[in-house]
Amino acid sequence: MELLSPEVWNNIVELLSYQKDAPMLFSSGLFWVIFLLFIPIYATLKNRRWQMITFVVAFSLYFYYKSSGFFFLLLIGTSLLDWILSHIIIKLHSRFTRKLCVTISIICSIGILCYFKYANFFLWNWNQMIEWNFQPLDVILPVGISFYTFQSISYIVDVYKGRVSPTKTWLEYLFFLSFFPALVAGPIVRADYFLPQVRQNNRATRNDIYFGFWLILLGIVKKAIIADYIAQYNDLIFANPTGYTGFESLMGVIGYTMQIYCDFSGYSDMAIGIALIMGFKLSKNFDFPYKSKNLTEFWRRWHISLSSWLRDYIYIPLGGNRKGTFRTYINNFLTMLIGGLWHGADWKFVFWGAMHGVGLAIHKAFRPLLDKIPNTWLVKAISWSITMIVVSLLWVFFRADSWQDSLLIIQNIFIDFRPDYIPVFTSVRYIWIAMMAVIIISHSLPQRWYDAMANWFVKSPWIAKLAIFVVVIQLVIQFMSEEVTPFIYFQF
Amino acid sequence: MQSYFKFILFGNFIVTLYHIFRLNMKKRNTSNSYFGIWSIMTVALAVFIGLSIYEPVTICGIELRTISMVDKLTKTPEPTPEEVAEAKRIEEEVKKKAEMPKYDLSTPQTFLFIGDSMLEGLYPRLAAYAKENGHKLYVVIWWGSTSEKWGNSDKLKKYVEKYQPTYVFICLGANELFVKDIKEKRKDYVTNMISQIGDRPYLWIGPPNWKPDTGINELIDENTPEGYFFLTNGMTFDRKKDGAHPTQKSSELWMDSVLRWMKKDGANPIINMEVPQEQTARATRVEVLYPNSK
Repeated sequence: MELLSPEVWNNIVELLSYQKDAPMLFSSGLFWVIFLLFIPIYATLKNRRWQMITFVVAFSLYFYYKSSGFFFLLLIGTSLLDWILSHIIIKLHSRFTRKLCVTISIICSIGILCYFKYANFFLWNWNQMIEWNFQPLDVILPVGISFYTFQSISYIVDVYKGRVSPTKTWLEYLFFLSFFPALVAGPIVRADYFLPQVRQNNRATRNDIYFGFWLILLGIVKKAIIADYIAQYNDLIFANPTGYTGFESLMGVIGYTMQIYCDFSGYSDMAIGIALIMGFKLSKNFDFPYKSKNLTEFWRRWHISLSSWLRDYIYIPLGGNRKGTFRTYINNFLTMLIGGLWHGADWKFVFWGAMHGVGLAIHKAFRPLLDKIPNTWLVKAISWSITMIVVSLLWVFFRADSWQDSLLIIQNIFIDFRPDYIPVFTSVRYIWIAMMAVIIISHSLPQRWYDAMANWFVKSPWIAKLAIFVVVIQLVIQFMSEEVTPFIYFQF
Repeated sequence: MQSYFKFILFGNFIVTLYHIFRLNMKKRNTSNSYFGIWSIMTVALAVFIGLSIYEPVTICGIELRTISMVDKLTKTPEPTPEEVAEAKRIEEEVKKKAEMPKYDLSTPQTFLFIGDSMLEGLYPRLAAYAKENGHKLYVVIWWGSTSEKWGNSDKLKKYVEKYQPTYVFICLGANELFVKDIKEKRKDYVTNMISQIGDRPYLWIGPPNWKPDTGINELIDENTPEGYFFLTNGMTFDRKKDGAHPTQKSSELWMDSVLRWMKKDGANPIINMEVPQEQTARATRVEVLYPNSK
């Protein structure tokens, strides 16, 4: 009887309702409990295409509602407008009206994104210029709007260019735009890659399902165990830039470099894994970016879905490398500037993007010269070191609260290094160091080792998979409440 | 209710577990691998619910933490606004009673001032007030200390017994500005600290925030009566090179502000607390504890 008590039901309703500060992430227990209910229904409906699509759309919209409340209606509205315009585009013959439809769709998508994400940023800057008091607008940013806006733009442009034919029904398009594994944090799914899979509706093989499960486990380890734990120490450093020795600041910078990779690539792994379990292949989003030996290579390995989107929908339309050397550099720079702003409404992101743009231009400019240098291990080591230093230092500007904080942290590393703190640090922060060692070693492993591990996992007995899953989740629970507290210099 | 709920849930999972094993063996060669992955997740959930029911399990000296799903489902719902208003009314009444003067603060006092490294800047100024007005001041600085460290030990009680203060000053919280879920995690430590003071007037000086905190100020405020907590957050300081500690001069101004506030809005204003001629003075005694002191 007590199972039916109003208290329990109230709590269930509360848990399943939208809570502003508790979006449903793949790293939350609630998602996996709901996913347990999702799997059997999905498995039953998978062969009945329309029922499967309807069910996944409903689930995706619920998933979005849980993260962003009634903004899921905005997603529905955007998808409806795109779908109608995409059908108008293919029916029209006049180039002008076709272009007009594309423009309307892009203006709507960008307009909504700008209002929610950048309105306060623009207003703040405007008021700084005219020296008025700034009253921020009461705007809540819908989760994942940056991702689905880019998907919406790529779809409409691809339809216009004839690279993809519009979906027959609005529901199929809504399926693409709201596909929950990639909805809130990517990877940015491209219509030409994804829609054929929806049409074919291939059944996931046993290998797909367990490889997807493997990716999920990998993602959980990266995101919920490593990134969330090491973030605590890094947060202390960035919260009080002058409160620590240069050595500790350096560890914080290296820590953040690894944290952002584990956090983001871990979440991507989970998204790709969930999609694979459902029978859909999403493209790789990270490919060992910290193995890169120059910035060009870094952007081919880091957040691949974004960098390829920026290349195809900004860099190439701007002229790419077809309009001379100087224009190539400018196009590169502008693309990265926009890429920086895409990450957030703040000058620090603009600066971060711009500096990557400058770095890419410099690498391009010196490429003919660099290509003449023999590719020895020493040259590789130097190239890798320079790339890592640039990338890590730019992450400082990306993470720190202000321009001044960024400079203080970097300055601290150079003028107050204090190597005498190394033994104290190693004795106090041994878990943090162990985690960092795990990331660095695992990042250095060759791809074929991962493939071998994944193959072993896929073929392993059911009980081995269960044991691994239980151990991983227990580690998440264990580290979730493990605290990193301020120490050393801060507490003199 | 919770244990009943857990029992039912766990019982159901045990039965499910049995069927899963049977079915999984049968379906091993079928194409339905969804069943395999679903059963792994279900069994894992059953394991974690099982672990959360019984006494904590320890492996190699490490206690396994458990999920809070069942607790979340069976928790008492948040009070309604009417209930909150009623509770607030009762609390106000209790506070009013607490505000009635019950300590003799007109005679020379013995102060005990405990806390973290912020005391280094604060206590010389309090010592000047004590010297000027005929009070004694004992200081215990525990470097790097937190409410957790003080609340987890009986140090405060021992110092209270040792020095027999008539008034206790605390300045603590700067080392826990960024602790996540602090209000849930450290409430017991704060209340334990306050209980160690016993029936003596006290004043808790909040940390001088240099960034927004995760709830330490709210935690102290909620667990001390009206007029027992000085909220430092919001004041402007000149800071030392570390960016956290106020400079000596700024700390002295901070102490002046605390005592001015105590006179006007504190629950237990000390009568003889005139502004001293000297800027700083020596305390009657200062004890220093290192961060790893047990």
